[in-house]
Amino acid sequence: MTVGTTGKMRILPAWSIPTIVLAVVGASVLSGAIWGGRYDQQLLAMAGVWALLVIGYQFSFGHAGALNLAHGAFFAIGAYGSAIFSRTWGLDFLITGPLAMAFSALAALLVALPVLRLSSHYFALATLAAAQLVLLGVVNLQSLTGGANGLPGVPGLTVFGFAVARGLPNLIVVWALVAAGALVAWKLTSGRRGLVYTAMRETPLAAGTLGIDTSRLRIQSLVVGGAFAGLAGALQVHTLRVVSPEVAQFSVLVICLTMTVIGGRLSIAGGLLAALLLSHSPEWFRGFESYYLAANGAVLLAAVIFAPAGLIGLLAVFSKRPRPLVPAVSPTRDFKPNREGATLEISDVAKSYGGVVALDGVSFSVGPGEIVGLIGPNGSGKTTLANIATGLDRPDRGKITFGEVTLSGRPDYVAARAGLARSFQTPELPVTLSVRDAVATGSRRGDENAWLAQVGFGRSRDQTCGALDHGSRRLVEFARALATEARCVILDEPAAGLSDGQASDLAGLLKNLAAEGRGFMVIDHNMEFLMPICDRLICLDRGRVIAVGTPKDIAGDPAVRRAYFGDPIL
Amino acid sequence: MAALQLLVNGLALGAAYGLVALGFVLVLNATGAVNFAHGDWVMAGGFVAIALTGALTSILPVEFAGGGAWVGLLLLPTTLVVMAGLGLIFCRVAYTPLKNQPPVTIFVSTIAVGLILSNGINAQFGGAPRSTPPLFGAGQFSLGDLVISHQSLSILGTAIILIGGLGWLMERTQTGRRMRAAAQDPEMARAMGIRVDRLIAVSFALALALAGAAGLLLANQFFITPSSGGALMLKAYLAVTIGGWGSLRGAVAGAMLIAFFEIGVASLTSQPVAEGLLYLVLFAILFARPQGVFGEAIGHRA
Amino acid sequence: MFTLNFRILAVAITGFFLGSGSAQAETVSIPVLVPVTGFLSLEGTSQRNGALLALEEAADNLPADLDVQFEVFDTATSPEIAVNAFLRAAEAPNVVAVVAPIFGTQMLALLPLAREDGVPLITISGTASITEQDNPYVFRFFPGDVVVKEAHARYALEVLGAERPALITQTTAYGQSGQAHLSTRFIDAGVAPVLDEAVDVSVNDMLPVLIKAQRAGADMLLLHLHSGPTAQLLRQAASLGLDIPIVAGSALHQPTTADLLTQDELAGSCAETGSSPISGGDTDIDTWTQRYRSRFAIEPDAFALGQYDGVRMVLAALNEGARSAADVRQYLSRETFDGLAMAYKSDGTGNMAHDAVIVCYGSDSRVPRIERRYENVTGVR
Repeated sequence: MTVGTTGKMRILPAWSIPTIVLAVVGASVLSGAIWGGRYDQQLLAMAGVWALLVIGYQFSFGHAGALNLAHGAFFAIGAYGSAIFSRTWGLDFLITGPLAMAFSALAALLVALPVLRLSSHYFALATLAAAQLVLLGVVNLQSLTGGANGLPGVPGLTVFGFAVARGLPNLIVVWALVAAGALVAWKLTSGRRGLVYTAMRETPLAAGTLGIDTSRLRIQSLVVGGAFAGLAGALQVHTLRVVSPEVAQFSVLVICLTMTVIGGRLSIAGGLLAALLLSHSPEWFRGFESYYLAANGAVLLAAVIFAPAGLIGLLAVFSKRPRPLVPAVSPTRDFKPNREGATLEISDVAKSYGGVVALDGVSFSVGPGEIVGLIGPNGSGKTTLANIATGLDRPDRGKITFGEVTLSGRPDYVAARAGLARSFQTPELPVTLSVRDAVATGSRRGDENAWLAQVGFGRSRDQTCGALDHGSRRLVEFARALATEARCVILDEPAAGLSDGQASDLAGLLKNLAAEGRGFMVIDHNMEFLMPICDRLICLDRGRVIAVGTPKDIAGDPAVRRAYFGDPIL
Repeated sequence: MAALQLLVNGLALGAAYGLVALGFVLVLNATGAVNFAHGDWVMAGGFVAIALTGALTSILPVEFAGGGAWVGLLLLPTTLVVMAGLGLIFCRVAYTPLKNQPPVTIFVSTIAVGLILSNGINAQFGGAPRSTPPLFGAGQFSLGDLVISHQSLSILGTAIILIGGLGWLMERTQTGRRMRAAAQDPEMARAMGIRVDRLIAVSFALALALAGAAGLLLANQFFITPSSGGALMLKAYLAVTIGGWGSLRGAVAGAMLIAFFEIGVASLTSQPVAEGLLYLVLFAILFARPQGVFGEAIGHRA
Repeated sequence: MFTLNFRILAVAITGFFLGSGSAQAETVSIPVLVPVTGFLSLEGTSQRNGALLALEEAADNLPADLDVQFEVFDTATSPEIAVNAFLRAAEAPNVVAVVAPIFGTQMLALLPLAREDGVPLITISGTASITEQDNPYVFRFFPGDVVVKEAHARYALEVLGAERPALITQTTAYGQSGQAHLSTRFIDAGVAPVLDEAVDVSVNDMLPVLIKAQRAGADMLLLHLHSGPTAQLLRQAASLGLDIPIVAGSALHQPTTADLLTQDELAGSCAETGSSPISGGDTDIDTWTQRYRSRFAIEPDAFALGQYDGVRMVLAALNEGARSAADVRQYLSRETFDGLAMAYKSDGTGNMAHDAVIVCYGSDSRVPRIERRYENVTGVR
């Protein structure tokens, strides 16, 4: 942040910033509509088109965090779709608008399905290739698209058979749709729904283990974003009354991306403001004559440098810290699991990376109400086993079931939904979310406060997870895992970083939770922590189970000693 | 015979694209961010060379200036130096203030720089296509039916020297090792006492020097206009992603692949078809190898 | 957004003072809407220069009580910006005509606006379809593809005796329009092109398409490419030793294109164009060329001259007493204007230019000579 953030400046409540921005945007559009001429109305209508495009991009690029370079192509598909249908068959915008949205959404789906499993840069490349194919298509399929010239004579908007005139009427329709689009986007991304996106974006590993189907969510955001782009494209061609390959140029995406970053990637109000400002700014600099676009670039550069977190981020300096999205509910509920206990069954699981064997025929089970400790030296395969059990990795061989459900080879969210939760060796918490919201990403019943109290988290639940110490993070993560209504929880080194007092509290808690019928698989080195609570201990060494038994048996087992301390030399 | 001619031209084109892509990778590795102005910097490199040609011919004695060959040879190092200097300024203005921001913010700041470059140069120099002097005179020689221009050889030679030099720098020298360490884990590198910010500035200077070389060579062979940057950027981006994000060798391989489609495939089909095929092939390869075309098998996303 | 409102306020205030102050001089506006940035900035700048030269010289030839205002608005590379520019320019007092962009796609976006406002568009865009929209407000002062491509084809067929021509065009609006005309014209003449291929403007190496032409046994190259690609193709054809005639599109007549090539590479090639002001031979054009050079310090081309003539015809209408857009449109659609490049008269759809020339480069000069004139190609005048 380049602007000082002293506490004194934080005088406004968090909700007021977007409200003020929306009011400014609304007032500008209104004043332009009332006092402006055709030119002002045209610029505002085009600003509205950009605004819809940006709102759509906030889904795929903002919320889903995917560098989708095909968003401009979705815009073009909507543009050509609505233009061709209205021009050829004289169809009403009430038909061509939704058609345009459907075309673009379908295109987004077609792009999303094969490429979603790609990691970021390759996803960007694949979407770029798709976008270039669309450009190539509209330029070269001359009989359909009119080629590089485009198609003239696209009618203006017609709604219920009435032609919407250029200027004010057109402006009203466009901004009515912007308002509707903004409302829909807000409904889809605010509150608990928005938390899911944050979890997916900031903790991609943990999201699946909370039962979030991230692939589906990413596809959804691309498709919804595509539909917005399609609507924007349709409005653009009916406002300009011509369609040409310029709508499919990469520059459309570049402008949209710039607006989204300058406005604020997740803020609808910020997106609207940026669309309004940046679609007007080249016009303001026309006084610089031949240097006006360069001047516009310089202002853009200054904007990014002075407001790197977007205009909304810049204004947020004046606001108090945001309150958690989910309301505080007093911790009164029955903590008993609402489902029958189930057994986690691991049979003959093997996994190797390259030539290195990580797991080699591991079999054991964790029953309801049982606490099983998993020990072994570093690199013995403990975390790999946890990853495979929770669907983050696939076994080369073997089978994992939980109750009636087969987990091996299936996506991560399946395990979570079946009731198998986990924590991570390094806690995976969304750093920008408050503690309460972070736990709410796992909760389906709004019981986050109850669980935080239950695990003994005593600090402020309004602070962000990024501000927590290591031990507190563990507790929050544990609360989140329990909030998923897990019947069995895999804990990866839960006692690391805890004080002795905290560790013994945790041990007591585990005992109580197990008594209610939950199973636990606890990975740890700390024998003092494990010994009193575990029903059984399992020792792994180089991917094999070398010992199974009660804590007492294991502690005296020579093979275990050797694995930990090496062969006695003397 | 035609096939051989196509191969020669394809290599020269691929080498030129390789120079473009390498500069792009350098900044990518140093900052983790896409420098979207890189195509425009290549274009700017061409115009810097054009401006320097004017300056050099007025300073040099007539016998050198008239000779042509000397101008080209002097032009390359001076362009490299001027562009490297611009690289330091570029780093200071568009990167340093944003170094703690997410990469996409830097992406947008470079978009803004690209706008300034293409529109500023258009206003200053006009929109006409321009050409730079050749490196070693404008001649060509024939081997049977095969025609090889001096400039094609210059491009290949310069590219080999610069790409090889960069490889040597990155892999054999202390600076290169530090640069790679800083790219992999800036925090760790800082902790080990490596002056990461200084290395990033060096990366920008090197990247723009390469852009200058590419601009100088491309503008002579294929001409250049203030709006050439966009297409070059697209090619560099494709080349680098095909070649495996961040890999120097991969970027050159990716550039060669693009040149192969632009020249080889286009000669058998047509240019629009070849372009479409390139994208379809990319799509297909990414579908089969989600970790990139030449990309090393990266393990699990964890 | 505050700027927006300030602007409205400023317009209102100036309007107030203008209204109360000078009532004597009558004001008309001729805004200049041309692409001076982006990939058409070369052609757009010629257009701007031609229009500016005519407008700056206007004061000497117009009635003293008439004040002609003009301002240049960039239309860049998209219909969106062209529409913005038009609506902003239309706020000027009494717009009687608009100098409109060479970019055909932008013209298509401006046509309905011109009809709504009743303002004639004065352009040099060659794209055929702009005069096929049944819109009485477009006036084209550069021979359209119907004319220049006819001259292009006739020269290739009748003078050079093409039997196996290869047609190489661009995938832009300009390229596709020219390709459609040339291709049909040759097929109708029974000489179907042995190669008919379009390439993108960003293509760097022309070898593939040249080799395809060679393989197809072409006896002539017909180009319809933009400036840089035209020069690139000529250079590579020369380097390959492809010793067949080349007849190029208007881009090759532009001095900036010739500047990219050596004498050897240029020699023997020809190009179609509306005129070639630097070629000399006409005293009026020569003095105009001198004025152009001293004003803009660059060489003029046919685009600049065409746009100059177009604006001059609008000024002639004003001289004849036209004071409104409707008057000017009437004049443009009915009268014949004897311009520098040629005589202009509307064919009823707004095509004003009906002559084309073929220029060729010799082995001793970088200035092309006018090889053939094709006058009144469409038989309108």
